[in-house]
Amino acid sequence: MPATEADQESVLRRYAAAAEDAHAELTALDRHSGDGDFGDNLRGGLRAAVAAFERSGGPAFGVLGTVFLDEVGGTSGPLLGLLFTEIARALESGADAAAWAEGAAAGLAAIQRVGEAKVGDRTLVDALAPAVDALRAGGDDAFAAAARAAAEGAARTAELRARMGRASYVGDRVKGRPDPGAVGVALLFWALATAADPAADVPSPVPSL
Amino acid sequence: MTSSAPFHPSDGDPVPPSLRGFARVHADLVELHENPAHLVARHRAPGRRVGLVSGGGSGHEPMHAGFLGRGMLDAVAPGKVFASPHNRQILEASRKAAGPGGVIHVVKNYTGDRINFGIAAERLRLEGIEVRRVLVDDDLATDSADTATGRRGTGATVVVEKLLGAAADDGLGIDELAELGAAFAAASRSLAVASRAQTSMHTGRPAFELAEGELEYGVGIHGERAAKSIPRPSTEDLVDRMLDEVIAGLPAGPDEVVAVVNGLGGTTLLELYGLHDLVAGGLERRGFALAGALVGTFAPALDMAGFSITLTRMRPEWRTWWAAPAVTPAFPRTAPRTTAEETV
Repeated sequence: MPATEADQESVLRRYAAAAEDAHAELTALDRHSGDGDFGDNLRGGLRAAVAAFERSGGPAFGVLGTVFLDEVGGTSGPLLGLLFTEIARALESGADAAAWAEGAAAGLAAIQRVGEAKVGDRTLVDALAPAVDALRAGGDDAFAAAARAAAEGAARTAELRARMGRASYVGDRVKGRPDPGAVGVALLFWALATAADPAADVPSPVPSL
Repeated sequence: MTSSAPFHPSDGDPVPPSLRGFARVHADLVELHENPAHLVARHRAPGRRVGLVSGGGSGHEPMHAGFLGRGMLDAVAPGKVFASPHNRQILEASRKAAGPGGVIHVVKNYTGDRINFGIAAERLRLEGIEVRRVLVDDDLATDSADTATGRRGTGATVVVEKLLGAAADDGLGIDELAELGAAFAAASRSLAVASRAQTSMHTGRPAFELAEGELEYGVGIHGERAAKSIPRPSTEDLVDRMLDEVIAGLPAGPDEVVAVVNGLGGTTLLELYGLHDLVAGGLERRGFALAGALVGTFAPALDMAGFSITLTRMRPEWRTWWAAPAVTPAFPRTAPRTTAEETV
């Protein structure tokens, strides 16, 4: 039977493990289009969040959000912190797909207000927006559908030219490989789907390089 | 190191010791908090309901901390040299500055500042604090339809912070202030020129070289080169050309302006006052009334040799806000404190 709930501590731990595994690929992707620190930032932030969670025991995504907002470098770190913080707020009232959808949608809205990126600008929004749509559509398969939608959205960024951020300075040269921020967000939804159902059939969003 | 290397303490980042020195000398007006770095004004007008917060990279002193105090800003978040402050600095500054009506962020238009102030604003909203943004984007040299980023924020910031501070002291609400702030910024345009780049903190040499007899025309305040270099005209012709361009860039309205002649860090007051004589005369000849003027170094780019001219087209109802007292470390017109002053 498909999972109807996903426990946030389990999602955090799976996300942290996935960021360890994907560190080399994320770093390589970011060297291609940015300053190469995204793999470090995502892995370092998740490590720090797991450690802080184990010390404080607070809601996992509340801790995760604060760590990314306060401590993680780059522009994408604090932007992800907004997403995690909104998810934490939504999870105060449940852990089903509707609660995750509400949090992810609020996070997407906050990121777009701050970062001014739209779908198609080759940013993490390209993975987050389809994942939100899939979660909102609900159904038995919502978590796995969100993971697939995020992975597909991240993969599609390989065909996009950047309009925002540092990658915009290098024009068409970034094409051919996906945006590391989008892949990093897709990893969150991969972790969500596998935390809800360890047997879920969801592809890894990390490209083999 | 060459002899022009700056006199920073030898130990790394020059910003923290500078903030400490600033807070020591102006201890009656400001309070420094470290980790994350932010400064808070000690006094505010009793009628002010909305806090004003600004911030941005360092290297532009006295902006912004010099404008902390009664009649202007309530708190500021200084970043590293030429780098946006972290959202945590802005968040802490805003928490302390927020009044019962919330807090307004005065943000110069740079991508990093927009994002970091935006993240802080989202966090403040989650805490139940109302936030609005006033974006300053006065630099004509970056007025191009080709870029999505828009005009940079430069010398008009001091005018916006002065007018908005006085309006906030009148007890206006957050939406009125946000609208006014946007109107002040929209009524302002600036243009800057440089004859020598700022000294690089790393090499002790000019950050870029200018050919003999050339001038950077339309230079920014972060050490970036201007889009063009021009053969250096006479100072009179230069001011005339700049005035024509700034006036042409202003929106329509009454022919009354506030003028700012701002040094970029390596320009003497001897020069700046002489430039203002040309600016004031040029405005007169063009039929403009001068509602107010500032001459000095307010928004420099470290020690760049150069200056900017800012004009703000004033509406009659703004005059009292320009004339209102400001008790800050760096705004040049101050007034004695009143007994009704409230300490925060």
